Formats: sequence, C-alpha cells, structure tokens
Amino acid sequence: MKMTTYIIRRLLLLIPVVLGVTAFTFALTRANIAVWIRSMVPGHTSSSQLLKQEQKIIAIYHLHSPVYIQYFYYMKGLLLGDWGTTTSTDFLVANRPVFQVMQERLPNTIELAIASIILVVIMSIPLGVISAVRRDKLPDHASRLWAMISYSTPTFWLGLLVLFFVTPIVPITSITGSIGLQYYFTANGSFEPWVVHQGTTILSTRPTGFLLLDTLIYGDMPAFINGLEHIALPALTVALTSMGAIVRFLRSSMLDAMGQDYVRTARAKGLPQKRVINRHVKRNAYSATVTILGLLLASLMGGVVITEAIFFWPGIGYWLAEAAIVNDFASIMASVFVFAIIIVTANLIVDIVYAYLDPRVRLG
Amino acid sequence: MTGATLMKKSQRSALRSILPRIAQFRRQFYYFKQSPLALAGLFITSFFVFLAIFSPWMTTGNPYELHSIRRLLNSFIPWFQTWKYPLGTTYFGIDLLPAIIKAARIDLAISLAVVGAGATIGILLGAFAGYKGGIVDDILMRVTDIFFSIPFIVLAIAMIVVFRQDFAHVAGGVMTLLVMSLVIIWWPTYARLVRGQVLSVRELKYVEAAKASGARTLRIIFRHIIPNSIYPVFVQMSLDVGSVVLLLAALDYINIGINFIYLPEWGNLATYFQYTGVGITGALQEPWTFVVPGLAILMYSLGLNLLGDGLRDILDPRMRR
Repeated sequence: MKMTTYIIRRLLLLIPVVLGVTAFTFALTRANIAVWIRSMVPGHTSSSQLLKQEQKIIAIYHLHSPVYIQYFYYMKGLLLGDWGTTTSTDFLVANRPVFQVMQERLPNTIELAIASIILVVIMSIPLGVISAVRRDKLPDHASRLWAMISYSTPTFWLGLLVLFFVTPIVPITSITGSIGLQYYFTANGSFEPWVVHQGTTILSTRPTGFLLLDTLIYGDMPAFINGLEHIALPALTVALTSMGAIVRFLRSSMLDAMGQDYVRTARAKGLPQKRVINRHVKRNAYSATVTILGLLLASLMGGVVITEAIFFWPGIGYWLAEAAIVNDFASIMASVFVFAIIIVTANLIVDIVYAYLDPRVRLG
Repeated sequence: MTGATLMKKSQRSALRSILPRIAQFRRQFYYFKQSPLALAGLFITSFFVFLAIFSPWMTTGNPYELHSIRRLLNSFIPWFQTWKYPLGTTYFGIDLLPAIIKAARIDLAISLAVVGAGATIGILLGAFAGYKGGIVDDILMRVTDIFFSIPFIVLAIAMIVVFRQDFAHVAGGVMTLLVMSLVIIWWPTYARLVRGQVLSVRELKYVEAAKASGARTLRIIFRHIIPNSIYPVFVQMSLDVGSVVLLLAALDYINIGINFIYLPEWGNLATYFQYTGVGITGALQEPWTFVVPGLAILMYSLGLNLLGDGLRDILDPRMRR
C-alpha cells in the first residue's frame, strides 16, 4: 500500500468515530431535556417569562421535530460554528458564544499539553534507557518504582503540593494563570492576556493564539519569559503524573530490541556496549515508543483538565471545571467534542509518522 | 491400599486436573517472590484490604464527630501538638486518623464495584464480539474507539452533569450515579482487552474440537473462550482498582464527585477545603488537610499498581526473560 492510500484509509476510519462523538454529545443533551432547558434560562426569571423563554428555546433547537431532524440541525450548527451560548457566571465567558470562547481557550490547552509532552519525553527517556540497560539492578528497580509512583499520584494533590512548596518563595499570582497580570491589556474595557497593541489601540489580538509563540514572534522577550515561568509548574505537574506509562513502555521496548538478533550480531562483532545501545537498540525502541505517545495523550489530557483547574490556566479544562458546577451544557459538550478532536487528530498524526518510519505498518 | 485408590473416580480426576495447576501456581509464586516491587505491592495492598475489613474495630475515634474547639489542629511534625489527634484534624474539626481508616472500606467498595461491573460487561461484550467477528465486532470496536477518544475525566464530567439532578434527591443517589458513570467509562477497556485475547484463542484446536463436537456458541464462549482469555483481565483489574480512586478524587476536586456532603472518602477528605470558603490559599496554610488523605490515595494506588505489574510479569511468560 502506498503512503497516500494509507492516509486516506486512515482518514476514512476517523469519520465513524467523530460522528459517534457528536451523536454521544447530542444524546447527552437530549437525555435530560428539562435540566438542559432550565440551565439555559436565567435563574431570576419569573414564571410567566419562563414559559416564553422555554418556548423560544424549543423553537431554536427544533425540539418539536423528530430526533433525526434535531440531530441534523445539531450537526449543521456544529459545522457552521454555532455552538450555543455559555451560561457560566464567570465574567470572562459569561453569555458569550461557545465557539468564540473555544477559539481563545483551545490554544492555551494545546500549549500546555505540548509543553507537558516535551517534559515527559525529556524526563522519561533517560529513566527508561537506564532501567533497561541495568535490568534487575538497583537503578532498574528505582526507575520502575518512580514510574509506578508517577502513575498513582493524584494530579490535583501534586498540583497543590507544588503550590505549597512554591508559594512561600513567590506569590501565588505570579505562577497561576498563563501570564502575569502586568502583561494584561485592559484599556477600552477589554481584558486580554497579551495583545499586539500601540497605545490603547489593539493592532492584532493574538495572531496565532498561542501566547508563547505570539510573544516570541513579536519579540516581546519579557512577556515570553514571564509566560515560560507561568507554564513551567503546570507542565511539570502534568508531566510528572503522566510520565510513568512512557518509562514503562520504553523499558519494555528497549528490552525487546536488546533481545533481537541484530543486537547479538553487533555484540559478536565486538562493538562496545555503549555503541550497541546507542546505534542499534535506542533507535528501534524510540520508534516503537512513538505509537504509545498517541495513546498516552488521552490520559495526559485528563491530567491537563485538573491541572488547569488548580493553576487557573485559562484553557478548556478550567472552563470545563467551572461549567460543570453551573450546568453549562453548551460549554461541556463543546469541550467533549474538542477533546475528542484533539486526541483523534494526534493519533492520526502519530499513526502517519509511524507508518512513515516503519513501512511494515502500511504494508501489513 | 493407597489413598488414591480409595478415592472415587470423580475425585481422582479432579485431583489430576488440580495438581498441575498447583505446580504452576508455585512456579508463578516463585517468580513473584523474586521481584521486590511486586512483594511491596502485595504488602501494601494487603494492608489496605486489612484496613477495609477491620476498620470498624480499629479505631475508637468517630469520623463524623466534630471537635469544634480544636479546629485545624496542626500535626505536621515540627508543630506536632497532641497524640490525641496524631494526623491532625481537618475542616470543622474532623479527626483525620479515624476518617482515613474508615475511608479505606468505602474507597475499596467503590473501586471494586466499578471495576467488577465494568469488567463483567467488558468480558461478555468483548468475548461475544471477538468470537462472532464480522459486523458485531466492527460496531463494538468503533464504539470503544469513541470512548477512547475522550479523556475519562471529561466523559465522567459530562455524564454526571447531565444526570445528577435525577439522582440528587435519592438516598445514596450521588454514589450510585458516580459508580454508574465510572462503569460506563471503564467497560470499553475490558471489552478491547478480552476481544484481543479471544481473537487468538478462538483459532486454537480445542475450540475447533468443541465446535466439531456440536457445542453451542454460548457454551464455547463460557467454557472455552472466556476461561482461557481471562488472565490479562485480572492484571488490568488490579491496576484499575487503583485508578478508580484517582479518578474519583479528581472528580471530587472539581466539585462534581461526592460534593457538599461529608463522607469519609479519601478524595472527599483531600478536597474538602473547597466547601469551607478558604479556597486554595487557605488550604495551603493548613497543608496536612489535603496532604494526608492524598498520601493515602497515593499509597493505595501505588500498592495496587505494583501488585498488578508483578502479576503481569508472572502471568505473561513473554515478559519474564
């Protein structure tokens, strides 16, 4: 099979999953329709107003029509970017279109996830390699124990511990959020974390949306460094709680590679141990580990949700945690959908990269 | 006359089928003993099971009693105050030590219920789909794909938010809802695991023989397929019993788990500062209130993970090199 055929087949496999996720979110909103409608009506509405509001909502969402027609309108809204309005009370998201809030929040979450993945890779590779090379010795036991501890640490607990150890040194406001308050743009009643501006006129609101990338592109080094300081602790928290799986997988794939014939041949040739490990074992173990990165992403995203809520990181997770308290259905279903899209896309990329690295996958 | 000839025929055949299993078990236990981590896991897990069973008789303290005068007794060692409350007291003056001991039973019960129900559903569906193949298998795999493409905690939040009003006014409703939504999250893992096993088992000779001798599908699945593909399920179960408590604590943290009621459950104890109005900064002033229950979660989950890892090593001979 050629590479393009493989990609096309892989893309076609995605369609049922994405459709399934939308069907799932659609079904969840319609599963408890009274609660859903009530959540969209402001709390202080009088009873005569309530009836009118309910009638309006029923008309908007076509709740009188059969389910498949409702689903058709649901999908239409989803594709056209009409994702409903938030009902949260937080002034940053209150009564705004969900799609608009999502555009603001998504880059932050992706940024945090990418920073965590980088930290995970940096921290877990040495542990996994040492564990496999010094198998059943003390370093192996120590790193396996470390992996296990990382596996079983509650994320929110680690986040609180991090805050506990750091807050005596620096004030809590300078490590929570995505950037320091002094970099917020507050003129003209706006409240933007960081924008390209000239005096009080905004030239461009967040060109790419990714804060670190934007500050770097526009050469605002103090803001960039401040952003790095803010992302460090949340990313570390996520990375520490999700590195265990990678360490374990790396260890077993290293051991797999070390048992192969070509490694024995390399040893028989008289190559030194270091060269055998670096040139023959590691390369194969790494490419196998790429596959698990995609699988890990779902659990890593779970950690991101909790970590955002602890560090007030303005991403989807923090928004979701707030939306959950006030029954903000539109926001919750939007984040379910977007998380699914993120993970599905990441898995697609991982599969394609792996198929490119290892021709057996696309041929088999 | 030897003992064996005195036995009935059925007893003899039972003994004959059990002896190799005992030998295998001893061999496996030998490998288990070789691994210090697995032994540590077994030890920690037994400790928590012991706590769960004997908790009513272990402590004289009452986890529901409020020691209002001694609110927030500090117990971190440098400021250690009294042996009366060795782990300190938490918000509203709840004595932490009896609360944590009592919590062992509740947490173990919740996690066993979730994993037990999830595994049962997963095994049945996975075995059926794997054995039948074709369209049933395809549909099941696409459904599990959907579940795996959403982070567990996000899925749990969505389901709990939708259904919590229906369960709010029922006695024990919150717990029922939590367990049910966690089961819905957990079964696909087992369905996939069992299905993968079944795909290899169903090609084996003894399944073919059973089919040739006219056994019905259900009999083949329950007598031949499931018993021979269940070992990885045990490993996964022991790992998941730890993870359930982690997820539960995370849900407690974002206020949609066991919320607004006090229950001696580790996650609830660790996150209870949220309902006292002190917020995160307040909790950081009194760190033992979340550190100690969180440590209990960590140890519980760690013990089960180490045990599961050890079990994997002995049950899967390929890992044992």
